[in-house]
Amino acid sequence: MARSVWKGPFVDGYLLKKADAARSSGRKEIIKTWSRRSTVLPQFVGVTFGVYNGRKFIPVNITEDMVGHKLGEFSPTRTFTGHTAADKKAKRD
Amino acid sequence: MAADTICIGVVVAAHGVRGQVKVRSFTEDPLKLGAYGPVTDDSGARRFTVKVQGAPKDGVVIATLSGLADRDAAEALRRTRLYVPRTALPAVADDEFYHADLVGLEARTTDGAALGKVSAVQNFGGGDLLEIEPLAGGDTLLVPFSKAAVPVVDLAAGTVVIDPVTALPPAGGEPEPEPPGDEA
Repeated sequence: MARSVWKGPFVDGYLLKKADAARSSGRKEIIKTWSRRSTVLPQFVGVTFGVYNGRKFIPVNITEDMVGHKLGEFSPTRTFTGHTAADKKAKRD
Repeated sequence: MAADTICIGVVVAAHGVRGQVKVRSFTEDPLKLGAYGPVTDDSGARRFTVKVQGAPKDGVVIATLSGLADRDAAEALRRTRLYVPRTALPAVADDEFYHADLVGLEARTTDGAALGKVSAVQNFGGGDLLEIEPLAGGDTLLVPFSKAAVPVVDLAAGTVVIDPVTALPPAGGEPEPEPPGDEA
């Protein structure tokens, strides 16, 4: 069953404080968090979180498309060993 | 195989009796297997023109390689990797890089200290990440592939410069406390 709308999205309070502090200071540091369960809010856009996957912190640069998802969705906990596409490109934002 | 070539597929099996093969394609779009010109085998001695036929299934496409007339010839090519020269790939836009070009670059910090080697380029949905194998060994580092975190990518010199302040999570820190009770 989906979460009731009246409750609003769930975010850990301490994560909100950390994100607000980072945005107001204007620093581009990675914000370490263990809170994989927190929902991505619109005010997180542009912030980079280091989301813990049980072993290390995976950098997640928040974009508009991620709003509404949970942070843990972008930090896989299992190792995928596949073959990278030979003609795959990476873009430096 | 020569360093200036890129593996774009591997022959996994023969298909039919007319010399067709099943190829696991390592291109982003499996149907583009033949789009980069003739391919060579592991030794570089044999060249084939690839014609892809049919829709891919699990990244495997059925292809016709020039010079293969019967099933025996196709069977003999099993497990052969197919390569194209790096120069066959089209030019990329500014601030775009092929994964194949980034892997193997030496990573240095802005102070000039050696950090390690780029071992892979990952993307878990939160932007491209450079995976760096530290010189000292141990767990790999993941660095966001952004202009702030990776200000310099010098393919000619074979180096990337990493700004440790914006690229690496700060050391230390305690796990955040669990709030009392469950989700409110």
